Amino acid sequence: MITLQLLVNGLALGAAYALVALGFVLVLNATAAVNFAQGDLVMAGGMLGVALAPHLPDHLPLPGLLLLPVVLTLMAGLGLLLAAAAYLPLRRRPPVAVFISTIAAGIILQNGASVLFGPEPRAAPPLLGGGTLDLGGLVVAEQSLAIIAVAALLIAGQQWLFGRTQLGRRLRATAQDPEMARACGVPVTAMILITFALGTAFAGAAGLLLANRYFVTPTAGGDLILKAYIAVTIGGWGSVPGAVAGALLIALFEVGVSSVLSYPVALGLLYATLLVILVARPQGLFGEAARRRA
Amino acid sequence: MRRFLSILSATAFSAVCSASLFPGAALAGEASVPVLVPLTGFLSLEGTSQRNGAVLALKDAPAGVAVRSEVIDTGTSPEAAVTALERAAGGKVTAVAASMLGTQMLAMLPLAQDYGIPLVTVSGTASITEQGNPWVFRFFPGDAVTKEAHARYVTEELGKKRPAVIYQTTAYGQSGKAHLEQAFRTLGVEPVFEEGVDPAAKDLLPVLTKALAAKPDVLVLHLHSGPTALFIRQAAANGVAVPIVAGSAMHQPSTAALLEPAELKGVCAETAASPISGGSPEVEAFTAAYRAAFNAEPDAFALGQYDGIRMVLAAVQGGADSAEAVRKALSSGTHQGLTMTYKSDGKGNMAHSAVIVCYDGASRVPAIAKRYDNVTGVVTGMVK
Repeated sequence: MITLQLLVNGLALGAAYALVALGFVLVLNATAAVNFAQGDLVMAGGMLGVALAPHLPDHLPLPGLLLLPVVLTLMAGLGLLLAAAAYLPLRRRPPVAVFISTIAAGIILQNGASVLFGPEPRAAPPLLGGGTLDLGGLVVAEQSLAIIAVAALLIAGQQWLFGRTQLGRRLRATAQDPEMARACGVPVTAMILITFALGTAFAGAAGLLLANRYFVTPTAGGDLILKAYIAVTIGGWGSVPGAVAGALLIALFEVGVSSVLSYPVALGLLYATLLVILVARPQGLFGEAARRRA
Repeated sequence: MRRFLSILSATAFSAVCSASLFPGAALAGEASVPVLVPLTGFLSLEGTSQRNGAVLALKDAPAGVAVRSEVIDTGTSPEAAVTALERAAGGKVTAVAASMLGTQMLAMLPLAQDYGIPLVTVSGTASITEQGNPWVFRFFPGDAVTKEAHARYVTEELGKKRPAVIYQTTAYGQSGKAHLEQAFRTLGVEPVFEEGVDPAAKDLLPVLTKALAAKPDVLVLHLHSGPTALFIRQAAANGVAVPIVAGSAMHQPSTAALLEPAELKGVCAETAASPISGGSPEVEAFTAAYRAAFNAEPDAFALGQYDGIRMVLAAVQGGADSAEAVRKALSSGTHQGLTMTYKSDGKGNMAHSAVIVCYDGASRVPAIAKRYDNVTGVVTGMVK
């Protein structure tokens, strides 16, 4: 029974990690830039949830769920700002310029959150309810189920967008070859902006989902960007399904190994596994090799 | 936004103080007390409490003492703290409210000795008062004191003999764990389970499961704020009946705010003090003033820093007209603070009391369950 419970916890955590990794890989594909502010964008989503919570109507059912579209929209706007400030002016510079600018953006977000919200840990409202379900001895937090459901919906929505719509085709064309896409009449800059908005919205959703169950502090993003980076490396640079699978693997590994050994050992083994993958299978488990762009 | 305004008001206060000469027919003295604390980074929660405590003490300066002050954020790096101290030392300084981050304190100590500036801190890092530096004064009980109280409450008051110790893998956690081990050993108790948890761990069910498998009769925590709340929440959700005695992070109102009162039922914690629990008209007045000034709840760090600066200002009021005179007053004097009496042990350790607070499940305000005074950090007596 406890194994089942750990599995549910691992899946919930993995679902949230998957949203972080997904946003990360979307931007990576569209721009070949590593957005190191992604973890801090997750924190920003959580803080937005905290800030908006007092304005929720008490009398409506599932008030936390009402926050989700608001946070997604506001975070998409923040993504546009981030792209305009930290990526577009530097896109013709060496990649390290964007790398540094996104780190700087992350630090600005951290300290901005610290000034506006204070340094203490906060909890965003639960999406469905703060309770737990007792399923014959299996204790499952309602928020865990909400995290899994919302993450699955957002990931499915993203797949639909990319696979079934004209906008998705343009986004994919931009990700695959921006120059060719531009030559074919695709507004590449607009597509990059939309990608940033989408990636940031996913980060915001992850932040809102995580902030209820695991709390949020201004410095909470640092660890998450590392997890996203590892997930993308394990799954395969550029692979969207790989990023999702990598995130789930990390979370299950984290929860599973720490329940048998210990959390520090789990982390050590995770990084050791990452090294093995980098050496033995640099294209990642899902084999979609990342293309290097000049 | 209200928090932002409170920060602005604190900054404005500093600016005003920088140029202030409090009206009075005769000044007992002037005090220049820069506040150099971590307001950003991983220790910003505790650093903000520190700043607020210092600012409140300066605002409540004794009659006839004119105060100058500025607040400088030291971040989390030793270099930033050293730079801040060098900047502050540019003028005449009476004492400094110094960072509670141990690595920053260790970096500032030699400089404080060079410049002859007393550092008044609430840092818990044991080694800062082990350097033979006469310029450091710690107004917060170190781990040797609090962990003795922690272990004694578990064994003497609760009568538990099979503790499971769960600690953070940070320097803070390692230090607490070492002192807990020593205290338990002296009390004749052997922990049945010990495990370190990384602060980044999101799910603490694995460690909770393993701890319970060791059949403990009490769960002893020494974790940071977020992980403490996470652990207690998961324990409550899983119907864990084993009592929990947590570290000082639990006493912070911001930690309790993350949990429902019902989840806190029966949880206890060690700390230096719990201002929101009241206990005397003076503490209640401090808490009310703190809430009014900062729109936040005070914790033991704020109160410790408040008491430390008050002792500095009392020395100035008593005629200490230089940093050296203040150092002498802090080294040899006794100060009746809001919740304890402060007196140096010869190394700059001023605080020798700790309390255990417990939550009743009906509110997030704990009650003081046990008080330990004149704690030496050397546990005597064996539990039968």
